[in-house]
Amino acid sequence: MTTVAGRPRKPRTAWKVWAWLAVVAGLTVLAGWSIDFTLSPSIRNVDYWLRTILAFITPNWSYFPRIVEPLWVTFSISLVAAAFAALFAIVVAMLASRVTMRIEWVYRLSRWVLAVWRSLPDVVWAMLFVAMVGSGPFAGTLAMIAFGFGIVVKLTAETIDAVDRGPLDAVDASGGTGFQRARVAVVPAILPNFASYALYNFESTVRASVVLGYVGAGGVGTALAVQSKAGNYENVAMIVLATLVLVIVIDALSWLLRRWLSR
Amino acid sequence: MIRFDAVEVRYPNGTVGLDGVTFDIADGEFVVVVGLSGAGKSTLIRAVNGLVPITGGSLVVGGTELRGAPRRRLRELRARVGMIFQSFNLVARTTVMQNVLIGRLSRTGFWRTLFGVAKAEDVERAFRALERVGIVDKAYTRASQLSGGQQQRVAIARVLAQEPEVILADEPVASLDPPTANLVMRDLQRINRELGITTIVNLHFIDLARAYADRVIGMRAGRVVFDGPVAEASDEVFERIYGRSLRAEDVLPGGDE
Repeated sequence: MTTVAGRPRKPRTAWKVWAWLAVVAGLTVLAGWSIDFTLSPSIRNVDYWLRTILAFITPNWSYFPRIVEPLWVTFSISLVAAAFAALFAIVVAMLASRVTMRIEWVYRLSRWVLAVWRSLPDVVWAMLFVAMVGSGPFAGTLAMIAFGFGIVVKLTAETIDAVDRGPLDAVDASGGTGFQRARVAVVPAILPNFASYALYNFESTVRASVVLGYVGAGGVGTALAVQSKAGNYENVAMIVLATLVLVIVIDALSWLLRRWLSR
Repeated sequence: MIRFDAVEVRYPNGTVGLDGVTFDIADGEFVVVVGLSGAGKSTLIRAVNGLVPITGGSLVVGGTELRGAPRRRLRELRARVGMIFQSFNLVARTTVMQNVLIGRLSRTGFWRTLFGVAKAEDVERAFRALERVGIVDKAYTRASQLSGGQQQRVAIARVLAQEPEVILADEPVASLDPPTANLVMRDLQRINRELGITTIVNLHFIDLARAYADRVIGMRAGRVVFDGPVAEASDEVFERIYGRSLRAEDVLPGGDE
């Protein structure tokens, strides 16, 4: 093979890529085989599927009045939980950034605790609090505070890390304390981002609190679990539809607010 | 009174910022520090308020020794020493008033800071400071909406609100266009004359140094290589400070007005 001087030779295909692809594909097949995964039942039970889908596209409208209250509970859980999560998050985020926390071990400990905290999924928090305070909206609220806090505090701490250092110097140079530099120079700089994270958390709290109802945390999720177990798919469809509308409305409002905040 | 005595600054990475710097600055002087970038001008100014800790010698500012000063004593000193920066360092998302009130933080308590409620007399001080630099009409404008020259004047007002004994200005006009640079330098000079506040300014433009300094300190490689009245700072002196012949870039583009 001759090459023209100065032109680079085409690099050889990286065999490593193919090897990894083969490993991933092999693992997938093995995983499917170990849980007896097959698509055939979905073809055999077409009949049953069609009936369920039919139930879903014909929601039981007369059921709606009965879900207004659980929906309101879900909304309230989300709002209260998101507010408390945000409040705790902005305070703790100050401990978890080197910009605002100059004591090295406090910073490291905060980061470590928060990493462990975030590794717990929302359902685990819910089960934990149901076990602690009994089932109901209170447990659901506590679970959503704990879960949302973990998310908002991480995003906020990272925003603090990236804040412009100039105003911090100005506060230091005028004899301000560490607290004053956090309150006066850092808070205004991160406020739009922080508010945006808090609102995003509110949106996802509404969605998550539906799932949490399944573990007895109250709200529309509990109604969903009951109706679904009883096989009343027309009612389930009504619940899903109403929740969908609520989530879309909240998403839209939150989007408008965030756009206004970052103007 | 500021007394440098064999001051040495060695950064953690081994770089020497100041190498045996000795001189006195009397109360009310207007001193311009000149030198190429990297000569130690910025280190010199930041040593005065302890933003850069000194590693050798002795530095006394208004009766306070900075060598090994604990954090609390540093804060007390910084309350008496104002600082102006090249990039203004305003909190962009708040109002001009909030920025000027930063100058009062050292006399503001925890709860007032937390809820952002300034004392009435501090607001009055802030207004007077803004009047002195001529932008009181912008008091409730967002800092980010101002031009560079206006922002630097807000920064000067922030320092004035502090009612300091010393003003440090680290390349205060390097980010400004020539006419604005002269306006800001004139503000600093007027404040020095009217209020008798000791002023130390870092500059790298020869013509600005000549126009506004009473005394010139020339820095090169962390050492003081010239210290004298502005009348003695001839072109030869500047060539010695810069270690090369003078160039067009050493004067403010467009000249003095």
